[in-house]
Amino acid sequence: MSKDSSEKVSRRDFLKLTGAGVIGLAVGSVLGWALKPAEFREVTSTVTIPREVTITPSVVRKLPKDAIKIGVLGIRSGLWATYGDFIEQGAKMAAEEINARGGVLGAKIELTFRDEQADVVKQARELVDVEKVDFIVGIDSSGNVMKVGGIIDELGKILIVTHAATHRLTEELVYKQGKKLIFRSSVPVYQDGILAAYIAKDLPVKKWVGINGDYEFGRVSWELFTKTLKSFRPDVEFVGEQWPKFGTQDFKPFISALLGTDGEALYTSIWAIELITLQRQMIEMGAYKKFRAVISSLGYSMDVAYALGKDYPTAELGTWVSGRYIWLYPPTDLNKSFVDRFRSKYGKYPAYSSETTYSAIYMIKAAVEQAESLDPDKVIKTLEGMVLMTPAGVRWIRPEDHQAIYEVPYGRIVHKGAEIPLLEDLKAVPAHMYYKTPPFT
Amino acid sequence: MNLEAFLTQTLVGLYTGSFYWLLTLGLTLIFGVTRIVNFAHASFFVLGSYLMYTFYIYTNNFILSLSAATITTGLIGVIFEITLIRRVYKIEEMYQLLLTLGIALTLNESQKLIWGTSPKYINMPELISSGVAIGYTNISYYSIAVISIGLILFIIIHIVINKTLWGLKIRAVWRDNIMAQALKINPYLIYTTVFFIGIALAGFGGALMIILHPVGPGVGDHLIIYAFIIVVIASLGNITGAYITSLLIGVISSLATWLAPEIDIVIIYLITIIILLLRPGGLFGER
Repeated sequence: MSKDSSEKVSRRDFLKLTGAGVIGLAVGSVLGWALKPAEFREVTSTVTIPREVTITPSVVRKLPKDAIKIGVLGIRSGLWATYGDFIEQGAKMAAEEINARGGVLGAKIELTFRDEQADVVKQARELVDVEKVDFIVGIDSSGNVMKVGGIIDELGKILIVTHAATHRLTEELVYKQGKKLIFRSSVPVYQDGILAAYIAKDLPVKKWVGINGDYEFGRVSWELFTKTLKSFRPDVEFVGEQWPKFGTQDFKPFISALLGTDGEALYTSIWAIELITLQRQMIEMGAYKKFRAVISSLGYSMDVAYALGKDYPTAELGTWVSGRYIWLYPPTDLNKSFVDRFRSKYGKYPAYSSETTYSAIYMIKAAVEQAESLDPDKVIKTLEGMVLMTPAGVRWIRPEDHQAIYEVPYGRIVHKGAEIPLLEDLKAVPAHMYYKTPPFT
Repeated sequence: MNLEAFLTQTLVGLYTGSFYWLLTLGLTLIFGVTRIVNFAHASFFVLGSYLMYTFYIYTNNFILSLSAATITTGLIGVIFEITLIRRVYKIEEMYQLLLTLGIALTLNESQKLIWGTSPKYINMPELISSGVAIGYTNISYYSIAVISIGLILFIIIHIVINKTLWGLKIRAVWRDNIMAQALKINPYLIYTTVFFIGIALAGFGGALMIILHPVGPGVGDHLIIYAFIIVVIASLGNITGAYITSLLIGVISSLATWLAPEIDIVIIYLITIIILLLRPGGLFGER
């Protein structure tokens, strides 16, 4: 019966079928046209897959949880609060980028910010005990970093320091005491003391004076500077030193005392708002008429560059400045793209601790992906000896002391009518040449 | 001893002393009359700086901005006086300390919210780059102005308090509050007025200093220590004592910076301890 009916297709049925076919073809072609962009998108995503291997579903299950929690410590109150902002900006930018691309082995990065000025040990403990973070990054103050470093084994989480520069962190705590949970993505005080001496040795001046903070960082940077410079140039003399304390608002007696010496050039590792104040008062007292060269190891921190702007004083033989990363170095595509993205997000050039924190978050991503685990011991093993391309250039995490080895130049302040002063005559020395090396004798 | 260096450091110290004086003048005046130990004083000083910064950006007029910042800071001080401080005049000092500390924290955090965390200053190149070369340093017209303004303010306040009828009323309230009220002097009006003047003077100091002393969140926390060292040495509430002590501390610390750079900070604290041991009421305290 069925066979008969199928065979006897009436003219009317034929027309129906043909009509449906025509409509079907039309719909199909419309659908086909509509699907074209989808096919195109699919092609692109196929191309990008090799670069984003981490988003494939099979890998997602390798972490025990859906979020990697990172506690971020920085100075968020008082005179140096702007440094907490810098750390926050870098951390947020990295986390947003990573999360937008599917996270770390499928886990999203969640950030918790705390003020290190409000009892850093309590904040670190709360991050671990209450917020249950997997990693801690940041810390601006060397004093604070030694406090957290001291209890790191109790905390049991990896700490990546992104600003505090004391050499004791990596030399004593990591290398000598074996506190393997501590890493540092930013430069140590060798940048301020030793590399500055590489700049000073080429300047045609013999008599130096120094004005540095009356605390460990100030003392160590001046000591490293004078010792290194003396070893390069036995003919130089250090004819004056001044030690203003933390929070000094009036540098004039100090500047005046240095103007009373026969110094020809000035070295300072004073930073942040105090450096801005120092520079303002040096201009006022005519210090730039006397000192032919000025080296300011943290003079290209973005708070200082933006605040002084076109008033940034330039000495006859140059005002030589550096930081823990300089946005215009190295001239790689990776760095340029980082600077552009940072500027479009925050409207300013990236501060050094924004980059060091940004890169610290990427260090965590790379290490967790490689270790396929959040277990600190496994992550430490992958971090040790890791080589990472970052905006600041290639970072190598030295296995012995967990210090990131990368180079940051000094440059001479010039005014080109830009938003902030720029740098010329960038001078960089390979980091392994001026970083102290294990066994740190 | 190098005479040139001695004179230069002394002159620079006079500037430092005048800076301290602008910081402590209002604090001393307010304590002298109302007996309030105002821990928020340096935060008002910083508020003056920030207001100066904002007014100057909009008007580009130094004198106008200075006046506006002074008056606005004073008025904000009065709001705090009427709404909060007035309630603690007659109770224990501990409550006054807690309240003014709370006001200081509120001001600090509000400043951070309004002006952000990055440091601010205004540039007056013509004021700071020109001046008189004295010894081996340039004493700018601005520095000379700060020292002169400090002296002028001292003279004016001295005259107002000692030579005018209004000053007499202030002294009456200070000496014997009950008797003053019996003479139909309204102490609360006097308190509010003195608070306005004291806080306005803090605002004036901050506004004037922003040229050479960039302002950032929490600057006040560092300044208040110096302010209290000076008023304690001078004896709280003594205007003449505060002026002389400010200049002395400025000059001594400046000379110490030159002669003993390793221990210059300790010297100020040593002086404070010795004076408090010998004269617990302060150098200019009444016995």
